[in-house]
Amino acid sequence: MSRRTDREKYALPRGVFALIQGVFLVSLTIIILVPLVAIFIGTFQDGNAVIRNGITFDINWSELSLDNYVMLFTDSGPYFRWFFNSLVLTVVQVAGTLLVSSFVAYGFAMYDFPGKNAAFISVLLLMTVPFEMMMLPLYVLVNDFGLADTYAVIVIPFLAAAVTIFFFRQYFLGIPKELLEAGRVDGVTEFGIFFKLVLPISKPAIAAMAILNGMIIWNNFLWPLLVLRSPEKFTLPIGLNTLLTPHENNYELLIIGAFFSVIPILALYLAFQRFFVSGMTAGALKG
Amino acid sequence: MKKLLYSQRLAPYLFIAPFLITLAAFWAIPLGRAFIMSTQEVLYGEATFIGLANYERLWNDNVFWRAMYNSVRYMVLTLILLIPIPMALAALINTRLGSERIKSFFKASMFVPALTSVVVAGIIFRLMFSETESGLINQVIGIVDLGPVRWLREDIPGLIALLALAMWRYTGVNIMYFIAGMQSIPSEYYEAASIDGASKIQQFFRITIPNLKPTIVYVTTISIYGGLAMFLESFMLYAGNSSPNNQGLTLIGYLYRKGIEENDLGFASAVGVVILVVIMTINITNLSFSGTFRKESAR
Amino acid sequence: MAGLRRGRTAVGLVAASAVLAACSGGGGDEGGPGEDGRVTLDMWVFAELHGRYYEQMAERWNEENPDRQINLDVTVYPYDEMHNNLQLGVNSGSGLPDVVDIEVNQFSNFVQGSNPPLADLTEAAEPYRDEVVEARLDLYSREGTIYGYPTHVGAFVAFYNTPLLEEAGIDYTTIETWQDFQDAGQQYNEETGEAFSVASTEVNFIQPLLVTQLGGRMFDDAGNVAVNSPEAVEALEIQQEMFEAGALSTIPGGSPDVEEAYGAINNGGYAAIVYPAWYTSRYVDYMPDLEGDIAIAPAPVVEGGEVATIGGGGTGTAVLNSSPDAEIAADWLAFAKLSPEANVAVWEVLGFDPVNMEVWADEEVTHSEDNEYNQYFQTNLFDVLNEVQGDIGHFDGFTSPAWPTVDTQFTTSTLVDVFENGVPAQDALDSAQQALQNELGQ
Repeated sequence: MSRRTDREKYALPRGVFALIQGVFLVSLTIIILVPLVAIFIGTFQDGNAVIRNGITFDINWSELSLDNYVMLFTDSGPYFRWFFNSLVLTVVQVAGTLLVSSFVAYGFAMYDFPGKNAAFISVLLLMTVPFEMMMLPLYVLVNDFGLADTYAVIVIPFLAAAVTIFFFRQYFLGIPKELLEAGRVDGVTEFGIFFKLVLPISKPAIAAMAILNGMIIWNNFLWPLLVLRSPEKFTLPIGLNTLLTPHENNYELLIIGAFFSVIPILALYLAFQRFFVSGMTAGALKG
Repeated sequence: MKKLLYSQRLAPYLFIAPFLITLAAFWAIPLGRAFIMSTQEVLYGEATFIGLANYERLWNDNVFWRAMYNSVRYMVLTLILLIPIPMALAALINTRLGSERIKSFFKASMFVPALTSVVVAGIIFRLMFSETESGLINQVIGIVDLGPVRWLREDIPGLIALLALAMWRYTGVNIMYFIAGMQSIPSEYYEAASIDGASKIQQFFRITIPNLKPTIVYVTTISIYGGLAMFLESFMLYAGNSSPNNQGLTLIGYLYRKGIEENDLGFASAVGVVILVVIMTINITNLSFSGTFRKESAR
Repeated sequence: MAGLRRGRTAVGLVAASAVLAACSGGGGDEGGPGEDGRVTLDMWVFAELHGRYYEQMAERWNEENPDRQINLDVTVYPYDEMHNNLQLGVNSGSGLPDVVDIEVNQFSNFVQGSNPPLADLTEAAEPYRDEVVEARLDLYSREGTIYGYPTHVGAFVAFYNTPLLEEAGIDYTTIETWQDFQDAGQQYNEETGEAFSVASTEVNFIQPLLVTQLGGRMFDDAGNVAVNSPEAVEALEIQQEMFEAGALSTIPGGSPDVEEAYGAINNGGYAAIVYPAWYTSRYVDYMPDLEGDIAIAPAPVVEGGEVATIGGGGTGTAVLNSSPDAEIAADWLAFAKLSPEANVAVWEVLGFDPVNMEVWADEEVTHSEDNEYNQYFQTNLFDVLNEVQGDIGHFDGFTSPAWPTVDTQFTTSTLVDVFENGVPAQDALDSAQQALQNELGQ
């Protein structure tokens, strides 16, 4: 019944519409992927040439070589150190942020208490304050207390992340209070309810926030740049940036290193992709 | 002790404690210091009080106003480009038509640019928009006999390159937000409308958009402060903080130049305070305008 | 219960890491010889090549001064990091090295006010003062006190691609003044359609050179900015005239010293480049195709001008006031940067034009056939230097604390206006003066 009504509403036959849509989307996809493909090809080229001539369609196919790959795995100097630093830092910071932010969000979602509105409004306000605003005074503060050049100072100020708190709160609001009551009747502590009853059923939100935070933290550049002093602590984006200086640059490593830096986060995304949309849907954006 | 853990009255305070501590230690205190430092001149760790002199200097500095202009211009343009277009694309994908495989592939690909770091993306775009004839973009426009354009040396071409970078990175993300928002609209609304004889276009404007309001508000808000606070994209594109005639200098870029590059901490603090006031004003206006405060307080 | 334990563990971890972080500041060095009888000096540099050079200098010092030996501990940081770290260090008063390389453009940041964090190196320089190019010591001095030692002279010279010029009928040896340069450039450009020399927009070098040659300044006696002084206007007008005649052209990348530019030059563009002498290393490292083609000659001069050339660019090495071993550091540093022995190494290891002029007279060193720079270039760098010896001036602006701001003004606005947008030099400088006065509060 409805199918017939639908068909009447289309200006074009369904097949044609689908075809146009398909072609359109595929073209867009190709355009979007061009920069990435270009850098991929760049990994096979001479770094200096790429910087001199820019990325170009004129590819000298005979000059492509695996030299850069060999270099990456045998002689890339600090690259894998940076990679490893980023990996560890990302895992720890994402886990920490999810834990702490969901913890805080639970408090906002499940309880009524004096001062709740004021506190939540400050979450909202904080969401709208870009980090770049605070970076200078934070930087001064960190240095005054001699806390610079540590991973702790990269992680701790952002564990209670306003956006993540907001998301989790929205999600938790959808959890029926009966669940909590049941827990209390069973003699579980308030915290136990959170950890043992609520978190396990929040997987979509956790997955969505894991991707969102992972993306941001893996690529985090500005704050670690200001705060880290020792070259052996550098994370990947900072390390790659140091290859850009005119003194003794290493453009090959820059290009191939940049390309490889996308891989872990891409893997994370592909793994959790299905949860991402459902998590976002179930979460923040309901009216 | 045990009683504390079971106390329903105390529990919420303990839950939100980490947030409150963070707020105090890492936001309120630095903010306070920024206010104080903005009235000082700071050299080698010694601070001298100079009243509002920093603000006066700021008011008279043409470079600051140029940065303000650049940031506002960028913000407005990203709002125009990065809300309607992703919304339309999301609607396109959200229909029951078309190959699911193509759509999935499209969604995944659109999102990948957001996964690259700004460092990487900036480098790639700088190389693509190279001023030489062989630069990728110059080759593309060469097909229709235009150019070569010296992209990053002139204002409007530079702006185009910057917007291209922004669109490349964030269209996919915004599409995701809108799809998520659209999927939470009950399909009964659409079915009822179809039965009533509404066309797809009418349904889009009468059902989809109004129901997407929270999503639209959310995306608008983050785009506003994302646009005003944009720094790294421009920094990477212009390979540093200096661009011809400061065409690429944003508010935060100006802050970075004064605070970190020129080490004029007192002055930079004043800049920070001004930027903060501007952003907070815009955002509070935006949020109260859309009723967010009222609604959230009422929960 | 498990929930509580986990909660507690999380809090505990966070607290522990915060404590660990706070404790991780390194212990301070109290100075004086260590257990091996050697004094340990911490040094920061931003170029690995410099680092190796200093290590060599430390070894030589130890050989010649067995009773005052040092352990040199060099750390190489990326350029930006190093200067930021240093900035942070002087602001907080901790975490500083003993000795540090500071690039000339950043140097002013560290010698401001009445109590700068850098040590007075005047006394340690005494033994070498007469042999060293005074202008380069001036660069790192303030009010008569030397705060840093130069790495090289960086004298502006001209690099000519002789085969290309000959094809257009130009003999570079006939170019003496800027007028000659402009005429040659115009001729070359008309004959070949190629760019002759560079109108840099990213780097502001020619302006200081011309201004000093004209005997002018860009700052007044009180140290206030005066970028529209008559000589400054004349200097910029000369450049603008050359640009309009076709003798100067813009270059990809905006200056000759970036990767894009190396590509363009290596491919046969820009047959004449006026740049500091250390540009030789760029030719050798990045433009191998031009080996044997390039001749070094004195930079064009102003007819009846004050000086023949100036030094440009550079790195000043300084000792921190806070160092407990400042005295021995200063003595070692003077040796490592000003002594004839060290300056031979500056030429042989770093390929720079050394500040100690005694070396210029040592033919065995300067004309050595094993030196890769001598192999690359048609003419000898020291022949050129000896020609201009005694006539090397000092651009006053380089030592002004406001120079970084002025330089930025030029590279972002003024040079762009003049070369890209055709704004007349006088107007461009007037608006620059206005903008700078605002920005500097003068």
